[in-house]
Amino acid sequence: MKTDNMSEDRALEERTKLLFNKSVSSLDPQTRSKLTQARYRALEELEGSAPAAPAGWRPRWIPAGVLAAGVLVVVMLWQGQPAVSPETPAFDVAALSDLEIILGDGDLGLLQELEFYAWLDEQAEIVTPESAEGGVG
Amino acid sequence: MTLAVFVQATCLPKEERTLESGIEMDAFLREVEKRAYRITAASIRDADEALDIVQDAMISLVRKYSGRPAEEWRPLFYRILKNRIRDWQRHGVVKGRVLSFFGGQEGETYDPVAQAPGPSTSNPDEAVARGEAMAALEKELAKVPRRQREAFMLRNFEGLSVSETAIAMSCSEGSVKTHYFRAVRRLRESLGEHF
Repeated sequence: MKTDNMSEDRALEERTKLLFNKSVSSLDPQTRSKLTQARYRALEELEGSAPAAPAGWRPRWIPAGVLAAGVLVVVMLWQGQPAVSPETPAFDVAALSDLEIILGDGDLGLLQELEFYAWLDEQAEIVTPESAEGGVG
Repeated sequence: MTLAVFVQATCLPKEERTLESGIEMDAFLREVEKRAYRITAASIRDADEALDIVQDAMISLVRKYSGRPAEEWRPLFYRILKNRIRDWQRHGVVKGRVLSFFGGQEGETYDPVAQAPGPSTSNPDEAVARGEAMAALEKELAKVPRRQREAFMLRNFEGLSVSETAIAMSCSEGSVKTHYFRAVRRLRESLGEHF
């Protein structure tokens, strides 16, 4: 009789525990979410932390990392500047002048007579002292 | 005190200790929050108020006992929770709206089946049967004397040991055993047909 009572007690304990566990595991998502928020709110009470998420894993090296990244950017910008000095122009001024002459003329037809200009240059170089004297005289 | 606890308490900087404590506390609260909520909801029979009470108990634990060894947190948390539930009922926060679980009044407006968690199974019949059985259990628990009910919930639902339950209930271990035994016998008699 005593054994029966004990086994019945045991059965009730197991049955009620199972029911309770099932009711816990089937909590709806909204309630779970609210419980999570409640936990975060409680953890905010911990000294020195005000986590929106659980404290502990928040990287405390962020200030050092930000500083290092800032220094790196400054160095890169400084080294990336072109090495310009007053003595050495950054580009060929003569070439730019030629370009201005050609494009500024407005007579685009001349660009098509490159052979003519080449011939003209050639003739200028061929000028000899004899022909120069004869020409002057 | 284990070596790890000793080192933590004495050698680590304050910030490190807070960090470790935060991780441990988060894990502990995550572990107990759902069960605490269900126990509270079954006790006061109000889902929204149960959430507030559980959060209040969590905050109180963190404020007062986060510096204590983690092994002590469970019984301390349930002692706080038990006191919050009792305060809530004693002061009648929502007078006339809620059946006092510990007072055992009749004429309730609370519907245990409607308040029961949603089914997690694909078998609707099983879910309904389980919901009804849980509702019957909660209804009969409401008729059990308060101390017996507390002992039953903490020992059976939450799985606290006799010594932990004694701490939570602020009584001797012998009293816990007595309350628990009487609660089981009483429930067995009243729930026989449902179980």
